[in-house]
Amino acid sequence: MSTQTEIKPAEPVTLKSLNTDNPRWCAGCGDFGILMGMKRFMVDQQLPPHLTVNVSGIGCSGRTPNYINTYGVHAIHGRPITVALGLALARPDLNLFISSGDGDALSIGGNHLIHGVNKNFNCVFLLFDNELYALTKSQTSPTTRKGHPTNTQPSGTYLEPLNPMALVLGIGASFVASTADWMPDHLANTITAAFKHKGFSFVHISQRCPHYDPNAFDYKTSAWFSFLKHENGIPPDKRIAEKTEVVEHDPSNLGDAFKHASAPQRYFGLFYQNPNKPCYDEILRKQIESAEKKPRSKILDRFQI
Amino acid sequence: MSVEERKISRFELLMDAGFGAQKAGDILIRAFARMGKYVYIEPMIPAEISPPPRTRPALSGVIIRVADFDITNIGNDTDLIVASHEIVLDRRLDDEETNANCRVLLDMGDKKANEQSYENVCKRLTKLGISTFPFEIDAEAKALIQGLSGSGQNMYYLGMLSAIYNMSKEIVEAEIQMTFGKKLSEDVYNKNIKIFGNGYAYAKANILFSIEVAGHPRQTEKILIDGNTSMSMGIIDAGIKLFSGYPITPASSIMHTLAKLFPSYGGVVHQAEDEIAAIGAAIGSYFGGVPAITCTSGPGLSLKQEFIGYAAAAEIPLIVIDAQRSGPSTGMPTKTEQSDLPAALFGNHGDNTKVIISVANVIDCFYAPQMARYFTEKLRVPVFIMSDFMTANSYKVIDKMKPTEMNSVEEIQDFVLERFHINRLPDHIEMVRDNQSTPGIPGQMRRVTGLNSDHLGQINYFSKTSQRAHAVRNAKIHEVRKALKKPEIFGPEEGEVLVVGWGSSRGVIEEAINNCRTQGISASGMHFRIVYPFPTMIKDIFSRFKKVVTVELSYGDEHKLSPLAMLLRAETLVDVQLLIAQATGRPLRPRITMEKIKELIS
Repeated sequence: MSTQTEIKPAEPVTLKSLNTDNPRWCAGCGDFGILMGMKRFMVDQQLPPHLTVNVSGIGCSGRTPNYINTYGVHAIHGRPITVALGLALARPDLNLFISSGDGDALSIGGNHLIHGVNKNFNCVFLLFDNELYALTKSQTSPTTRKGHPTNTQPSGTYLEPLNPMALVLGIGASFVASTADWMPDHLANTITAAFKHKGFSFVHISQRCPHYDPNAFDYKTSAWFSFLKHENGIPPDKRIAEKTEVVEHDPSNLGDAFKHASAPQRYFGLFYQNPNKPCYDEILRKQIESAEKKPRSKILDRFQI
Repeated sequence: MSVEERKISRFELLMDAGFGAQKAGDILIRAFARMGKYVYIEPMIPAEISPPPRTRPALSGVIIRVADFDITNIGNDTDLIVASHEIVLDRRLDDEETNANCRVLLDMGDKKANEQSYENVCKRLTKLGISTFPFEIDAEAKALIQGLSGSGQNMYYLGMLSAIYNMSKEIVEAEIQMTFGKKLSEDVYNKNIKIFGNGYAYAKANILFSIEVAGHPRQTEKILIDGNTSMSMGIIDAGIKLFSGYPITPASSIMHTLAKLFPSYGGVVHQAEDEIAAIGAAIGSYFGGVPAITCTSGPGLSLKQEFIGYAAAAEIPLIVIDAQRSGPSTGMPTKTEQSDLPAALFGNHGDNTKVIISVANVIDCFYAPQMARYFTEKLRVPVFIMSDFMTANSYKVIDKMKPTEMNSVEEIQDFVLERFHINRLPDHIEMVRDNQSTPGIPGQMRRVTGLNSDHLGQINYFSKTSQRAHAVRNAKIHEVRKALKKPEIFGPEEGEVLVVGWGSSRGVIEEAINNCRTQGISASGMHFRIVYPFPTMIKDIFSRFKKVVTVELSYGDEHKLSPLAMLLRAETLVDVQLLIAQATGRPLRPRITMEKIKELIS
């Protein structure tokens, strides 16, 4: 389709070259950490920004594509997976990243998450989980902890939170990892591992919202979580791992992955990886490769009387 | 035995769903077409798969209009009906589409067990002045049908109809061979042929009339194709590479056709998890620079609306096919209507900027996708292709279209623009955002959002930026308005009455106006292929008629205008009235249209 005339050659990727105008998140927002993790990953990998598309839904997380100098689609609420799949089918040469929040991915977009995971098309899916709706000013989300007061459930959130890790493991995700916005090394390593995995790489990110729920994550201490470690996994964050438990976990073991996902304790690291799950986008493209090529000029011949 | 020579005839085969009435109809029209006749077929399909036999909802059948000249619509009323039992017939009589000379051939096979019911329906036929020809499938054929677990009955009726319409037995048999030869075992196939032969022989011996519609040797290459298949072929010809959809009647068969053929032409069919996902994928593909299309019907259109508004705001090309059906809500999935125009035009929240193309017939279906591509890639606004159940499902014999093998939209050929009555758009059209690059170009990283943006693509909420963005988007539509030529007009551009319609009503308008004019009635017709925007000169044309009226398959009454009339009034300030605004689910009829015109003038 239409292109601009002046094409500049690709330049080295630096943190600065990935800057756009200033993000409009609140001071102390965990989204800054995630954005930085994403940029660090791109610099580490020298991922060409012109071949990278950030796709997002709506919410604080949804603003991400506007704040990183790649191609970007800030789509509608709950549906970034659908747009990303269209891109994956159309342009297998592009690197696709999806930013979605707990409301975006697990509530309004829950259906698409199920089918994105199941279709296993090639992309990195980042779930920014701050455990509530923030941009719309503090409402209960599927992951809000029971008892936490919000504007829609002021006496305290009624239900136990939905467990996103168990959910995606249960529907057959091929890559499931968990990290947090305040662990830059671990975050960048997790995105790298997710990027290298072929298929739908689900990355859960515990994300602080200092404005509406400053107590959701006690990011200054570390006794409340553990790291998962394995030679095929993601290395625990060096600085933090010294102060907390590190558990050996083989990411090919789905049963143990479920155990960790269902534990009261929070784990960070690679829960599960299955490199052999078929990818829907690849299957569709192979259909074209294996089909007998036919000329469009004769397309109506079969209907001749 | 008397042979009645006709230029045109319409007949019906009525059966229980699941017993092959449509298959028999398909075979018959292919045979008609081979014998040089023109045909138009409307399938009658229940929304369910196989409702219980011998119930009114089970009615499934075909209406076939056959002529020795090109026909554009399914016509007025029926000359002959073959019905497998009294209940489907009774149900169909409710639609009041039989004419005074109609003959009914009623299978009495079920009579013994349903004496009273048969008697009631026969009384109804007598009351309507319809001649009834009772018959029964012969014992040999009955035994064969029983051996085939009840199937094959359609072959008997096919045989009867072939005999009544003076068809060459060999040509029909060749079509049966084409349809079933590879699918059925030799034994089953032979039994079907035998049943067909018995039906043929029975009618030849016992039905003391036959109808001969002349055929002509073909001068040009002809094809037999239905609207949805033609649209599918048009999608391929237009260079579209991704189709994403979700199953819905009556749009699904486009997805079925492409699922079989698209990969051979480098295309992908994506069956999405829901209607919203289907449109999302089309938008994603087009953002990546790969032309895509999504297809739906009424309920799906409602679900897609948020993304439609998004595509306009983000300036991502988008093509949506809406195969309209009867609404609101689930309505009547297998009945035709034209009520989605407001939903297409005004359905998304906020301001609406889109171009709406409609298809009048199966030929339009073939060229509409490239017309849609042209608009959406030049303007980056959502473009609709509005079809309907009737157009989607009816087959017609037509001149073979000329594939254009479009790659880029600038290649669009003049005859295609001419077909849709529009000139070429200007080379440069202003966009809200200056950067419209496709991913892959270094240094041009384009980011889109549904939020208000300035020309640099920056999000802001400033009054001037918002007003400008609206103006720029609307100016795109105004460019189409300016490029539009006079719509198609039947008859002179002045007179007593102008009858206006859009989409599938074209054939009926044309036929009604032609008949009016041969009777000296001062009526003209106007038909829109592009339904929005309207060309500016229509107000002038309207002013040269005493009355301007619309015919629409959409509800309207003395207090409520049907959609086209409402739009035309708003745009022209002409007192556009409703001639026909019906939501029966049945297509318009030329004769009734003509009668209404006469009433209006007198």
